[in-house]
Amino acid sequence: MKSSKLMFVVFLGPALLSYLIIYVYPVLRTALMSFFYVQNITDNSSEWKFVKLDNYINLLTDNQLFMQSLKNIGYIYFWGLLGVMFFALLFAVILNSGVRFKEFFRSVLYLPNIVAAVAMGTMWVQYVFNSQYGLLRSIFNFFGLTGLAEFAWTDDTHLLLSMTIAYSFGCIGYFMLIYMAAMDKVPSDYYEAATIEGAGIFNKFFRITLPLIRNVFRTTLVLWSTGCIGFFAWSLMFSNINWNIRTVTPMVYMYNIVFQDAIGMDPSQKNAGAGAAVGMILTILAVAVFTIINFVVKEDDVEY
Amino acid sequence: MRTNKTLNRFSLSKELPLLPGYILVTIWVVFTLIMVGWVCLASLSTTKSIFSGNILGDGIHFESYKHAFLDNNLGAYTLNSIIYTSVSITGMLLIAAPASYMLARFKFRGNKFIQGMFVVAMGIPSIMVILPLFSLAAQLGVLNSRITLIIVYIFTGIPFTLFFLHTFFSNLSRSFEESAAIDGCGPIKTFWVIMLPLASPGIITVTIFNFIGIWNEFFMALIFANHSSLRPLAVGVYATMKSFLYAGDWPGMFTGVVVIFIPTLILYILLSKKIIAGVTGGAVKG
Repeated sequence: MKSSKLMFVVFLGPALLSYLIIYVYPVLRTALMSFFYVQNITDNSSEWKFVKLDNYINLLTDNQLFMQSLKNIGYIYFWGLLGVMFFALLFAVILNSGVRFKEFFRSVLYLPNIVAAVAMGTMWVQYVFNSQYGLLRSIFNFFGLTGLAEFAWTDDTHLLLSMTIAYSFGCIGYFMLIYMAAMDKVPSDYYEAATIEGAGIFNKFFRITLPLIRNVFRTTLVLWSTGCIGFFAWSLMFSNINWNIRTVTPMVYMYNIVFQDAIGMDPSQKNAGAGAAVGMILTILAVAVFTIINFVVKEDDVEY
Repeated sequence: MRTNKTLNRFSLSKELPLLPGYILVTIWVVFTLIMVGWVCLASLSTTKSIFSGNILGDGIHFESYKHAFLDNNLGAYTLNSIIYTSVSITGMLLIAAPASYMLARFKFRGNKFIQGMFVVAMGIPSIMVILPLFSLAAQLGVLNSRITLIIVYIFTGIPFTLFFLHTFFSNLSRSFEESAAIDGCGPIKTFWVIMLPLASPGIITVTIFNFIGIWNEFFMALIFANHSSLRPLAVGVYATMKSFLYAGDWPGMFTGVVVIFIPTLILYILLSKKIIAGVTGGAVKG
């Protein structure tokens, strides 16, 4: 259908305008700002001091806190992804295998996704991982595993592990739904034929399901990466409300050097330009990850 | 789907191989339900009972709710959340629905490019846009105002809303527009009166998602509305968390948590089928 100019402006204009204001302008300005020293985020651009690549160099060479935040998010990215993919695939296979109450199970597994991170985080830190009345402690004690019951989940040394478990726990239901939808598209006669040929459940999974849903793993990686870049609220919930070097993530680091003078943070480190550089580094890392994925996992049309 | 019919009659030989699956999923589900259920009970309990491990040992107490709403601003936070959420989800629809319709139904140069632009936007992390938006708001003197946060919510929600509705508009039959045109109905009126109502299943689903997203949003609100009278629930409860912990008021803290998740939980219980169907509506290719 052809469209009139007026209709174009009325229907598409506001959306395009919003795009310019909320994406084009800020992204360009963030990129520009990352090359400047900007003491206060509200400073006029005339007060910015051009420092070439200094923000990047400082962040990546002698900034322990930022490097730790990258290590932390790398840990969450890698181990969390492994755990989430394993359990999400497992549950997707189980729920698609013909169990009863499939819809009920599916709803409860997805449930954590509709709860705010602040609420979920508090539940985990203050209840599940609690060392006195916690759920995990009760469960392990019930089964007589007193050694495990005494495990100090919220100790400084275990905080990152605990946070990764808690965060990933919630994501499993989401990725499970995505895998289930992909599995539903695989024609059932493939499985019937395999069953006739005597293939077991593992053979069917590794030889039919997995190869046929491989394109969905790219979606997984994109969604997982986006989630990790924005990793913020969970980190605050797991660090006793303040930031903590054990759980600091790039977003939290950025928040601290741009928006507040956190306790223990050297005020001279306040630099919105470095905050912008943090964003750029994360974006570059994400783009690099996508490029590698595209290179390794070729997108080919799976035809049924 | 394929096994639904054979399910109705119980047969041991069919169910037995599924047993490990049942056990695993059941453990997971029970764990989740205990977690949510316990927090609800804890909000009605006392700090002493919580620590003694005998929740509700001292009976049911509503004090923490009274205390939270009367002394701790929870009522104001809730009201803020309602304002932010309702205005934002409406605004997103008003801007995204016509744009989505236009992109789905009309051929014009740059259509594919504009669609690509909005796809890219869904991958732009908030860290890349937040700093200039903050300084822009500061220069315009609109920091810490409800309107700023609402505009940020509306604008950042447009790409997702637009994309979600795109499928629904593309699947509508051309004959609706053709007969409307024959009857002398202009394209703009056709959209509002005929096409938009036809896409209502999609509009309802995307609005549920937008509702949950904004209700639970934390980062933007922390930056743009970090003033006690402007905070939505998530930020408000976060801000009072410290004082709960300091005062040893565990029921109070869990009350905050419950108040945050009860609205989305009720919505989910009522509409879980629609929500679950919508999750994979856009995300799966191939």
